[in-house]
Amino acid sequence: MTQQMIRPSAELRYAAELSALAAQDTFPRPPGWQLSPRAVRSFLLGDQKLGVSRKFYGDDPLVDRAIVSLMSQQGLMLVGEPGTAKSLLSELLAAAVCGTSGLVVQGSAGTTEDHIRYGWNYALLLAEGPSERALVPSPVLNAMRTGRIVRFEEITRCPPEVQDALISILSEKSLALPELGSDSVATATPGFNVIATANLRDRGVHEMSSALKRRFNFETVHPIADPEFERELVLRQLAERLGTAGVSISGERDVADVLVKTFQDLRTGRTAEGVALTRPDAVMSTAEAVNVLHAAALEAAYLDDGRLSGAHVARQLQGVVLKDSPDDGKRLRAYVDHIVKERAGRSGVWKEFYQAARSLKLG
Amino acid sequence: MDIAPLEIPALHDQDRDLWVVPIRHHSPACAAHLERMIAEIEPAAILVEGPCDFDPLIEMVCDPRTRAPIAVVALKDAEKGEAGHDAHGATRRAVSYFPFCAHSPELIALQAAQGRGIPARFIDLPSTAREMLDETGDLAEPGDTPGRSLLGDEHPFDVGDYVTALARELGCRDGNEVWDQLFETRLGSEDWQGFFADVGRYCACIRGATDPARMARDGTWPREAQMRALVAQYRNEFTGPIIVIVGGFHAGAMFAAATDQPIAPTARGGKSYLIRYGMRQLDALSGYGAGLPLPGYYDRLWQMRGQGGDGLSRDIITGFAAHLRNATGEHGEAPSFPVMVNAIEQAERLAMLRGRPFPTRDDVIDAIRSSFIKGEIPVADVPLLAELRSWLTGHAIGEVPPSAGSPPLVEAVREQARKLGFSVEDGDRRSRELDIYRKPRHRAASRFCHAMTLIGTSFANRTAGPDFRNDAALDRLHEIWTLCWSPQVEARLIELSEVADTLDEALAAVLAWKLAALEEEGQGRNARAAIDLFAAATRAGLKGGAGAMLTLVETQIVEDPELASLVAALTDLVLLRRGRDALGITDISVIDRIIGAAWRRVLILLPELADYGEDQLRGAIASLADLRGLIELARSSQAPMDIALFDDALALLNQRMLMPGLAGAVLAFSLIDGQASMDLLEDRLRGEMRGGYVDPSDRLAFLGGIIAIARELLWVTPAIIDAINDVVGHAEQADFLALLPHLRLALMPLDPREIDRLAEEVAIRIGAQPGDLAALVAISEAEMTANLALDRDLATLLEQDGMA
Repeated sequence: MTQQMIRPSAELRYAAELSALAAQDTFPRPPGWQLSPRAVRSFLLGDQKLGVSRKFYGDDPLVDRAIVSLMSQQGLMLVGEPGTAKSLLSELLAAAVCGTSGLVVQGSAGTTEDHIRYGWNYALLLAEGPSERALVPSPVLNAMRTGRIVRFEEITRCPPEVQDALISILSEKSLALPELGSDSVATATPGFNVIATANLRDRGVHEMSSALKRRFNFETVHPIADPEFERELVLRQLAERLGTAGVSISGERDVADVLVKTFQDLRTGRTAEGVALTRPDAVMSTAEAVNVLHAAALEAAYLDDGRLSGAHVARQLQGVVLKDSPDDGKRLRAYVDHIVKERAGRSGVWKEFYQAARSLKLG
Repeated sequence: MDIAPLEIPALHDQDRDLWVVPIRHHSPACAAHLERMIAEIEPAAILVEGPCDFDPLIEMVCDPRTRAPIAVVALKDAEKGEAGHDAHGATRRAVSYFPFCAHSPELIALQAAQGRGIPARFIDLPSTAREMLDETGDLAEPGDTPGRSLLGDEHPFDVGDYVTALARELGCRDGNEVWDQLFETRLGSEDWQGFFADVGRYCACIRGATDPARMARDGTWPREAQMRALVAQYRNEFTGPIIVIVGGFHAGAMFAAATDQPIAPTARGGKSYLIRYGMRQLDALSGYGAGLPLPGYYDRLWQMRGQGGDGLSRDIITGFAAHLRNATGEHGEAPSFPVMVNAIEQAERLAMLRGRPFPTRDDVIDAIRSSFIKGEIPVADVPLLAELRSWLTGHAIGEVPPSAGSPPLVEAVREQARKLGFSVEDGDRRSRELDIYRKPRHRAASRFCHAMTLIGTSFANRTAGPDFRNDAALDRLHEIWTLCWSPQVEARLIELSEVADTLDEALAAVLAWKLAALEEEGQGRNARAAIDLFAAATRAGLKGGAGAMLTLVETQIVEDPELASLVAALTDLVLLRRGRDALGITDISVIDRIIGAAWRRVLILLPELADYGEDQLRGAIASLADLRGLIELARSSQAPMDIALFDDALALLNQRMLMPGLAGAVLAFSLIDGQASMDLLEDRLRGEMRGGYVDPSDRLAFLGGIIAIARELLWVTPAIIDAINDVVGHAEQADFLALLPHLRLALMPLDPREIDRLAEEVAIRIGAQPGDLAALVAISEAEMTANLALDRDLATLLEQDGMA
């Protein structure tokens, strides 16, 4: 039975590519891995001969380093600004290395040690006492037992004492289960490792202890600097999202160009021509750009004639920029008044964008 | 688009028994395979791409006492009309370098030839040929920029469509990684034929993708014609196999028949020396398109070639960790043992993933990056990675035999530096503190540093010490210097060796040129520059000859028609006299004489202020203010200036009809000087302010003059404020409004505290309490927040405009 899903996991989305890679993979595989490191690399960076698409853009050596870190005793820590595709990278790596990206601990202020170690089915616990049947393993424990990758999202959103539960798991590669008997220990089977993602600068995040830091190799994921790359990425993701919903639109390439230029300008505080502007506090990530384009495309498809225009994007942009600070509206207004206005004279899409943006209530 | 089929060059021309070896400069793999090849072919002669006028230096390059990195530095006399040529015979000439490191294939070839007793020759155009120098080929200013490299341009290895496409295909980030992956990893293989065939093919592809216009521009054609011609000539001269070593880019062109006669080096017009060279400069050259970056890495690879690269990453990672431990504090925590183990594993696995037999440069750097740094790192400017780059660049400087024919000046200065305790063995940057008053040896070292700076080497840079010009830190006992004996230092000395054999002679020559230049452009306006030069020369310990500068100062002063520049020069002279201990001037009689002459000149020029036009008024008042400062300085430092004579000059000036602003200034001066009475000043002030001038600004000009010269008069003579108060108090409304802007202008030099004080004085006079002046204006919280926000926005705007 095939079930409709809003967003299938990476291993489902790319099942065909993964099996093509596995079939051709002649290189040695580290113990517990579903693919060889080279095949994992091809899965992320693409292989035209095997019909494998590129899924991660902008920093190929980073992918190499990440794969190699997963083979080591160290965990892999992906850090960087919000929306730089850290989670996407971790999902793809987990899917390629161990065939599943579903073992996830989502870090939040409410995460407890139980989410990292194990909990109990209290009905069974009361009925039978502590037993293997009553134990509810965490995704981490599951991953240890089956030799797979566990993903820890937003680790710095957990309080440090909860984060530190990972220290012994990473260094000993085992977890004591004292309730099941004094000798009861779950030991990790080969293939186990942790990919954590963290945001070190956002509001409301916690510090990480140096003991924990030492057990990870850090990789910083930077926003995509090349507008061409970013536009391709945004368009590809849009196509994926629209494909699942069966929506078709036109004119998205030119609009994506406008959108990516706008995002790059606002993100860096400087246009490609070198004009300075005030950066909004809001996160202007590639992921946000995809959201904007997606929403704009839906508007064009369902409420308009299906032709995506600059005006659709302008209306959606408001929701992204006016999130963090009321001043951001003024900053966007200034950007529209000075920079967009000038570009409006040069192309139709920019003109649509300008006219719609000017009528927004931006504070 | 039609693409011509690529001609892949063979290695061996059987008809002529000629082996053409394509290489890349500073490539250890090329060097290693070349060694194997020479051992197998046993050639009768070896020909190397390099300027043919360097042949006489080959013996020295191969001397057992020579230790790479070294370079041949070539000097070319600037021709008339060329940059660097000047009328004074200054030896500013084109300087270019031909560097060798231990793993240069060229060096390996020359050494092999010497070891086998077979001839070795260079076959490129002479270093003086126009094609060997580009438009930026002159090194007029010394500094850390490497001069022009005579190594063939290797830019095509890094940029270009072919290399970019290949990098994408191989998953490499740039042309250097491609080169490492394809060639340096084959360092340990025995198959030199296969290796050079592949280098040849690779270079032929690069050449195929290179714009022919570029080759026409950069002198490729004439250089290749010369190489072909010399190869043909030596082919006739020697019997047996010949090995020709050229940059891979040119290899294919060597097989064509020679069409031209070789161009022989001319006897005149150029000179070349063998000098010690540095790893840092080698690295910098790679930025100019020659050789591989981070030569320290390749040097290690070369040292470990016996193991074929095994253990290289371990050696580098542990070595770098040890380096960090020694320098802990500067770069954070030193890496622990598990971190090092992790990094080594990481490097090995990266190499495996990328399909390399052992970790190459980028693998090792990547491994250190992911293992050593625990945290988020910015796109650029990562201190630890910068340190790694610097460490992998290396800081070694080579050695050349004493017989290398270094000019006497270089030997003499090096000897002198060693005696004074300076390190000339490596290119490291060091800091040294000199106790210049109490320790004669330090004093001598300080003089040496000053002299080296003055003659234009980049050896020493003073970061702290007494400063006579700004009259600052004259009591400071120490000088702090940053020192670096880079190859550029020796290059500059070699340039100067034409005119001097010792540092003192070089100093005298450089000073003579500078002085001549000053005289030429001067026309009486360069007294200050000459004084600076004199101070620099005395600090450098120049015994004779410094007097010439003072003579120049004297002439310039006598001819100086401007009071302003004269006062400035005289102030400098008084400061110079005052700082004589710091400068080490023992005999001040000459300075005293010039001060006397300059002072007389000031007194002559002073009355001429009366003839100044309206547009010069501001300058005239400023000169008077400077003059007042000078007189106070002279009094406090007992300079030999007869102040009494000044009174006469001032009296002369006072008798003239002056513009109101100047009159105010002069009268204020006279008052301070005790020549005028307070009453006179007050009367004049009242008269001026009530005056019937058409332009109301003239009424306040007098007050402005007083304040410019001596604003303290406002406080010491209450009559001035009384006068202002009276006039303003009695003015009609319209009159007051006319005066107001000019009053503000006149009082502008006052600082806020003085303005408050003035307001209080006025308040007392009109019967108000000083406390009443400050009115409290209530401001709501909302308004304040809004204002603060405005303030912040303004600050942001200013910051954006670069005005923060």
